[in-house]
Amino acid sequence: MENLTDLETRPDCAVIALNGVTREYSGRAGVVRALEDASFSIVAGEWVAITGPSGSGKSTLVNLIGCLDRPTRGELFIDGVNTASLSPTELDRFRADKVGFIFQQFHLIPYLSALENVMLAQYFHSMTDEKEARAALERVGLGHRAEHLPSELSGGEQQRVCIARALINHPPILLADEPTGNLDAANQKIVAELLQNLHAQGHTIVMVTHDPEMAALAQRRIALSHGKVFCHPVSGPVVSLRK
Amino acid sequence: MFFRLLMESFRRQRRRKALAGLAILLGTTAVTAMLALATTIGDHIHQELAAYGANIVVYPAADQLEVKVGGVDVKPVSGGAYLKESDLAKLRGIFWANNITGVSPELPLHLTGKTSAGADVDANATGLWFDHSLSNGGGPALKTGSVAMHPWWKIDGRWPAEKATSADSTEAVVGTSLASHLNLKAGDSIQTAGRTLHITGIVSTGDTTDQQVLLPLNAAQQIAGIPDAIRRVEISARTKPEDSFARKDPDSLSPKMREIWYCRPYANSIAYQIREVIPGARAEQVRRVEQSEGNVLKRISGLMWFISAAALLAAGFAVSAAMATAILERQAEIGLMRSLGASKGAVALLFYTEAGLLALFAGGLGYLAGSGLAAWLGARIFTESGPVQIGTLLIPVLFPVVIALALGVAIAGSTPAIRRALTSDPSAILRASA
Repeated sequence: MENLTDLETRPDCAVIALNGVTREYSGRAGVVRALEDASFSIVAGEWVAITGPSGSGKSTLVNLIGCLDRPTRGELFIDGVNTASLSPTELDRFRADKVGFIFQQFHLIPYLSALENVMLAQYFHSMTDEKEARAALERVGLGHRAEHLPSELSGGEQQRVCIARALINHPPILLADEPTGNLDAANQKIVAELLQNLHAQGHTIVMVTHDPEMAALAQRRIALSHGKVFCHPVSGPVVSLRK
Repeated sequence: MFFRLLMESFRRQRRRKALAGLAILLGTTAVTAMLALATTIGDHIHQELAAYGANIVVYPAADQLEVKVGGVDVKPVSGGAYLKESDLAKLRGIFWANNITGVSPELPLHLTGKTSAGADVDANATGLWFDHSLSNGGGPALKTGSVAMHPWWKIDGRWPAEKATSADSTEAVVGTSLASHLNLKAGDSIQTAGRTLHITGIVSTGDTTDQQVLLPLNAAQQIAGIPDAIRRVEISARTKPEDSFARKDPDSLSPKMREIWYCRPYANSIAYQIREVIPGARAEQVRRVEQSEGNVLKRISGLMWFISAAALLAAGFAVSAAMATAILERQAEIGLMRSLGASKGAVALLFYTEAGLLALFAGGLGYLAGSGLAAWLGARIFTESGPVQIGTLLIPVLFPVVIALALGVAIAGSTPAIRRALTSDPSAILRASA
């Protein structure tokens, strides 16, 4: 077992590495610094929880890691590639390859079945494969609900469809934004177990959460306050690490 | 998946799509109607204005000064130069032959004789084509004559038949004034120059022709003793409105510009081509009618282009509003697609395809509706054109134009909403819709 604290300073082993990342937004009121000089790394197979109060820069950080945005200054490496060097089109492609999103509100398309919602991610990534999409749904325990519309599924089931959709293109990073924030206790437990299983299988999970119980499941917590990052020590073993 | 998203969009946003489609339909209906009228208006207006006379007159170059008093050619009949009637067939061979819709040669002469009732006749007469087929041997003949060229002439009786002319008799009509003066009516006759003129009708022209005898051209030539001679030819031609280029002297233009001038159906260039084929002729446009036609055409065409542009602009705004609402409703979907890795192009393609399909469908319907509207309007505005023919209802060349315009309107109308949606931060869209 390697010491994670050492890995935090070794971007060469990291699947996500931030080096002095700052993100500023210009508005009428002047320049707003949403994230300031953030430097940390997340290694492959790690489960990291990002916590902090509203306005602390969590969404900015998620957007940057999710390749939905680019830093104003500093370097952000995802799977070894500096996202600042990518054109907008390359960034779209890169996002489809590298990041699977799990949303608090699930964001399933209401007129598409569970299966089609999973296939939608395949469509925008490369090409649809119904067999593979069905397998992904079976993996989250929803093989029997493949033809159902989101409105015919419970909140927990919808979140599992969302997870299947995030997994379908085999991205190295799962980016979960409050994955249980909209679920009741029973479904929260199901989704937490699913994330634990995925972590056990070696998936890298970056999870934004307000929930201390969910945050406790992560190996490491990155706390944000007023756009500044405070890394917390490892709370559990790193199950799988990339070379 | 693309078609699934496309079809679902139409199924789920029926009202929005119907609204945008209706805007395109109305816009393209108006544009089709205006374009259809604009492309045929020249013919229609020409037909309407043809009722006011010829727009080109041809006379011998050696006889440039017409000596007319009160519309009556007072030049001695025996004097002056003549053109050849047989040369008129060459008009069917000029570049703009198909634009010539009427030809009416004239030969004025003076008659003296007696009516069947014994009254002395001392009157001017004109030899004319009444119902003549003009052909140069190839292609279809042009049915023409003074009757068709002067639709306001009213006949009490019937027009003379050219074939009824023989060495000693011919048919003729007499103007109302002269008929009244000589107490003539249809069925009477006049003895002149050793032949009998059988009066087949009394003609009312509203001008000095009412004091004349009108007889077939061949008979007039025989009586005057100048076979194949004509003094003047009135020509009605479909022309392009006169502009500054039309007034250029072709002989002063460069060869290239001269060719362009020559290949435009200006009254001047048609007159020029007539001069080329009829030796010794001078052809000039009758400026009053020609200019009226040009001015009317210019104004109406301008109005139609303005209406078309306004209709398209209105349709564009309506499409823009409908698409903006439709896209706003699907912001979360767009945000999701973007977060799943869809490029801006991929998302834009989806919405533009929707707009394109809408344009094809609504534009196609607009073309049909507009064609019908043009026919309906045409039938009511241009009474001289007669009833609408089914075959002329649709103008196929307009179809791609209308579809292209519909696509342009739909795409231009959709672009602001699509651009706005694509420039929005997908994560913000996802959070806003949460």
